[in-house]
Amino acid sequence: MRIAQDIAETIIDPKAYAVGTPIDDAFRVLRKEAPFAIAEPTGVDPFWVVTKFDDIQLIERQNDLFHNGDRSAVLTTIEADKMVREMMGGSPHLVRSLVQMDNPDHMAYRRLTQAWFLPQNIKKLEPRIREIARSFLDRMAAFGTECDFARDVAFLYPLHVIMEILGVPESDEPKMLKLTQELFGAADPELSRSGDAAQGTEAGVNSIAETVGEFIEYFNAITEDRRANPRDDVSSVIANGQINGEPLDHFAAMSYYIIAATAGHDTTSNTTAEGLWALCNHQDELAKLKADPSLINGHIEESIRWTTAVKHFMRTATEDTEVAGQKVAKGDWLMLCYQSGNRDEDHFDDPFAYKVDRTPNKHVAFGYGAHVCLGQHLARMEMRILWEELLPRLESVELNGTPKRMESSFVCGPKSVPIRFKMN
Amino acid sequence: MADTDFKTWQCRTCGYLYDEAEGDPTEGLAPGTRWADIPDDWVCPLCGTPKSDFDMVEL
Repeated sequence: MRIAQDIAETIIDPKAYAVGTPIDDAFRVLRKEAPFAIAEPTGVDPFWVVTKFDDIQLIERQNDLFHNGDRSAVLTTIEADKMVREMMGGSPHLVRSLVQMDNPDHMAYRRLTQAWFLPQNIKKLEPRIREIARSFLDRMAAFGTECDFARDVAFLYPLHVIMEILGVPESDEPKMLKLTQELFGAADPELSRSGDAAQGTEAGVNSIAETVGEFIEYFNAITEDRRANPRDDVSSVIANGQINGEPLDHFAAMSYYIIAATAGHDTTSNTTAEGLWALCNHQDELAKLKADPSLINGHIEESIRWTTAVKHFMRTATEDTEVAGQKVAKGDWLMLCYQSGNRDEDHFDDPFAYKVDRTPNKHVAFGYGAHVCLGQHLARMEMRILWEELLPRLESVELNGTPKRMESSFVCGPKSVPIRFKMN
Repeated sequence: MADTDFKTWQCRTCGYLYDEAEGDPTEGLAPGTRWADIPDDWVCPLCGTPKSDFDMVEL
């Protein structure tokens, strides 16, 4: 079954994700009329659109049957795919991080840093992260009664945390933020390196390749430093790590830094900013949360579901199989639509309502299976600390203008959340 | 059995912790539910890893 052309064009349109409603409307129709069907947008190879929660989980937990690395792990155009393969010696990827790997490499590379990100290890970071959170909230209070919560707090706090974990100096944080926004905001004229919306074109691929090159140049220097002077940071683990008794493949090591330095803060920033935006629009939920701080974890989980900062990943079938009663051929490309899964009426009661006490709230915002987000425990802890510190000080908050999201069909969240507030 | 005898189990894939003392009510596992009493076909709620791929951990 082929989905309607206007919907196929919408679900890959970065502008539609920025607005939000067109995406929710398109997926609502698909979940009802074509929950697992083929899209053929102009200039893009055909792909299956996976919209139901259960189908997303089913595919994500079969990591041998559905690979990340065989074709591009994110949606791309025919033109961009051709160009990347020419640049990368046949590979469809500009980087080779955990996201682009399959087993046995994926497991070996993931194990390298997994211990760092486990709850029992990051627990020791809690006092320092609380200090960082307080400093950003003091800064917010110093703004008086108005600020842009996305730009002034939400972007900067998780950035500072992950950069401390990586051992990147504070003076380099603006550079890391800029490069991250260039990478994830390649389709957004305000954020892209080239200053236009050239994603999926030759110019767009060149811009992303330049950003990746700048990251690699930066982390080459970090690698050399950590090999000479190992510290207790994740960069030292990557620089000195071994896979099967050998140092990490250089390109994979550089890609490891890049994913940690980008996905390690941007998605948490998006969720934090969107979480406050949601509370501004749902003052009853804010009141409930302020009255009962034990709901903070519920609010965090709901903000993760609500935001679904990673909108999709792609998988490739490694053999002929069947999904949702339909035949999928070896080599077929599948788009896992997490935002749709997290609004699935068959999985969530009243999915378009924001509820800080939603129970149960099992979502797919962090993915599922072997590729589930490595940093999910850190993300939850950072957000818990921020809300624990912010809510008792926040007397009131409301929107002070219209928030804006980044134009992106991949990682997407607010780039501006203007607020008016009273803090003690 | 005393509370101190409760154990914690961790998913090898994603790090999810199952504390026998706390259980996981969202999974239908009441506080005090022993690991041995969880069905063998139960999977990690965060990533779907089978129960057999959990390790007992000391925290």
